[in-house]
Formats: sequence, C-alpha cells, structure tokens
Amino acid sequence: MIREGSIRLPFAYAAGKSGSTYLRALQEEQRILGSRCSACDRILAPARSFCPTCGDAELQTVEIGPGGVLLAWTERPDKGILGLVKLDSADTAIVHRILGSSDVLSTGMRVQARFGDASDENPEDSLLGFAPEVADS
Amino acid sequence: MTSASTPVAIAGWGQTGPLAEDLRSIPEMVLDAVQATLRNAAMGYEDIDAVVTASVDVFDGMTASNIAVTEVVGAVMKPETRIAADGLCAAIHAACQIRAGAYDTVLVVAHAKPSMSDFYELTKWALDPIFLQSLGIDFLTFAGLQAAAMAAEDKDAVERWAGLAACRLADASGDGKSPGSTEILQSALVTTPLREKMCAPLADGACACVLRRGDDSSPGRKEIRLSGLGHDLAANFIGDRELTESAGLERAAARAYADAGIKQPEDEIDVAEPSVAFAHEEELFVQSAGISDNTIISPHGGLFAGNVPIVAGLSRLTAAAEYLRRNNDLRAVAHGSWGPAGQGQAMVVLENAIP
Ligand SMILES: [Zn+2]
Repeated sequence: MIREGSIRLPFAYAAGKSGSTYLRALQEEQRILGSRCSACDRILAPARSFCPTCGDAELQTVEIGPGGVLLAWTERPDKGILGLVKLDSADTAIVHRILGSSDVLSTGMRVQARFGDASDENPEDSLLGFAPEVADS
Repeated sequence: MTSASTPVAIAGWGQTGPLAEDLRSIPEMVLDAVQATLRNAAMGYEDIDAVVTASVDVFDGMTASNIAVTEVVGAVMKPETRIAADGLCAAIHAACQIRAGAYDTVLVVAHAKPSMSDFYELTKWALDPIFLQSLGIDFLTFAGLQAAAMAAEDKDAVERWAGLAACRLADASGDGKSPGSTEILQSALVTTPLREKMCAPLADGACACVLRRGDDSSPGRKEIRLSGLGHDLAANFIGDRELTESAGLERAAARAYADAGIKQPEDEIDVAEPSVAFAHEEELFVQSAGISDNTIISPHGGLFAGNVPIVAGLSRLTAAAEYLRRNNDLRAVAHGSWGPAGQGQAMVVLENAIP
C-alpha cells in the first residue's frame, strides 16, 4: 500500500548583505554586481560576502556585464534554456535563463542581459535572462 | 593524508536492488541489504562496534532519514554517524574511524528510493536559494551544462558518449545486448546534448558492507584492503569551476593514490568502478583519475544497471571488492560522485592483500 503525502512549507531565505545589494541593484538600477577579491586578483560573479578561494570578507562591489559570452547552454523540452554566461569584466560565470530560440545559439557567442519589472517578493526576476546580442541592442 | 598504520579490510557486503521501483518501505529495503551483508561477512549485529549510514533527508521525504533505519542497521545503543553524501564517503569515514583506533568493526549502509518522488525536482532544494532556486535549475540541468561545455570544442563527443553508453548498457544487460549508438542518439532528448539512453536509469536500492581492522595476526589469510582513501568538494557556485574537467576528482584521486603508494595510476590499477550517471562523466573520470586503457572499466556496466543516488559509490566499492574476491593480486579503484555536476568526489583504492 502507498500513502500519498507532500511537504509544503514557506521559507524566508535571507539574501545576506551581498545578496541584498545584488538584488537591489538588479531591481532598482538594472545593474549586475560582482565582487572583486584583491587578494586573488579576480572578480567573482555574482556578488559575494566572502571569497570562496581565500576567505577574504573585505570584497569590493563592482558592476559586471551587462554583456558577456555564452560558455555553455542546455535546453530541456518544456523547461527552456539555461546557460553559463561569463559577463564582461568578471572572472567567473553565472547560470541563468537564455532567451529566444536555441537554433541561433552557439558557444562563445556574445549575449546581453534583458531586464524587466519584478515584484518586491521576487526581485531576482528583474533579470529576465540573456539573449544573443543584436545590432539594435 | 598520511599513510595509516592500521590496515582496513572489507569483510563482507550485500545489497538489494537496483530496482526501478521497490514497493517495500525503506527500512525493509535496508534490512534486506544489511542481513545479506552480515551473512556474507559471517557476522551478527553483536560483532559490529559502530555504524556509518548515508542518506539524504529530502530524498526520503522526511527529516532524520537515518533515524528511520536505526533499528535495521543495528545502531540502537551503538555509535552511529550519518553522512548526507554519497555512500562511498560513508565508507571513507568508517575506514578513518578504524584507522584512528576508535572501532575494530564498522557497518556502512546507504539507501535511496528515487521512485518515491520526482528525484530531479528534489535536487533543486540542494541549490543556492537566492541565485539558483528561482531559475528552476536542478542536477539534471547541471549535467547537461557540463556535457554541453565538454562538447563545445569537441564535435565528436556526443557520438563517442553514445558509444560508451552502448558498451555499458551491453555489460549491464547480462546478455551483451544493448541499443546501438544510432538508437541511443535517437532516444528521447533529456537536456541537450544528453539523450535518455546516455543517462544511467534511476533506481531504488540499498547497499551495505562491513569494514574491519586488517588482520596482521593471521599470516597467509587473504583479505581485501582499502589501501587508499580520498575525497574532495569543489567550489559551490558552478560558474567558479572549469566544467570541462573535474579538479575535485583530481584532488580526491591524488589523495587516495598517495595514501596507497600509487605513483603511476595509468599502470597500477587493474579495475575501475566509477560512478558514471551520465555517459560524458566516464571521460571526466578517465581523464581526472589518470586511468589508461590498461584498466578494465565497469565490467558489469556500472550504474547503467541502475543508478541509485547515495548508494552509487558504495555499490561501486562492493562491485570492486567482488571482483577482487574472485581474483588474486589485483588493485581496483571505486569512485563516488554527488552534488551538482559532481561537486563532491570520493575515491577508494582496494587491493588483494596477504598479511
Ligand atoms: Zn580571494
């Protein structure tokens, strides 16, 4: 015999200092932020509270993108395309939605961030995803 | 890790599954694997000093998933440790307990039952709640991204992976029959570039083994020893990693090899039992663990016979031990992998030893 069940519980995830700064910049200024670790001499994407390599917590917030290079992408039937994008001036890549049709995608192509309106409950939705760079963008 | 003075041997093992859907309860499945293991080791619960279990709460749909199996693993009124990672990691911790002199005999048990729910949907809960969960990304998408990164500069890669999957499916089938590369390349799209038959099928199961202090007091008595242990975690943000290689496995393997005194893995390993859940991961394994054509890989198809998450790496250890029990003077490696795109990596070296 089988007993059917499910778990549904709301959670309040704290975005933390760097996460909050990142989300606020996305929502209010349509800017993408990263963090520079001067000890490692690299810019991490997205913004971090500490450097995962050296543990330094004194990172400098910097703007990255909004353009970048598509490193890899994968498409799932009915679930859209997700890709790994290395934003301009960043040293690490972020994962996000890739917009449009996979027919025109190729690894190494230029992509550009696309922004939209988002609710206060889901400020992360301000970044819609990345689309192939076109002449009029 | 320094070379340990206390040798660790594997005394017995057993499993239940892999089955696409096991209708028994989790404790019933685990009991079956534990009893098979104790029979195999010619031991009883009273011979076990301590237990290390591997399970993940969210996969079992409850918290404290180890407590649900406390009785069937014989851990009531005994020291029990739970590892929420691949079962090979649990075996490494059990071996470390023996090396440290804490216990002489430790039972290691892993279980998972992905048929209970939508397994990949559950893996979303393992990911960063601020940056990743809202994207609806899961471990399957990460596997696709890794395969896509590897295929980007390598136009023959996908066809090669189809060939690898055909080999493993044939070895796993028992009768040597498997779909051909063309059929594999035409199977349902899972996430580009991965097709259904390039992915080891998810299954339910439990696996266990008994590790004990090596017996140097009975010269001439053969035993199978765990001579090298290594594990590693790679960066949490996937974009911080180079996806076309497995630096985590390189480090885990280097630790295990140094521990076992292996200097040239390409010449010194007879059999490898990697945890390959997606065909491209076999190439990552071979490259990162320094395995050559001199090594037999997954003689019975590895996880393509059924991929039980969490159990996978422990079942690779027992598969390698089974191979060594039938042979003399061999060395094998067992590999475990867990987390998004193989964030966690574990490697154990096993060998036939005559104290
Ligand atoms: Zn740093």
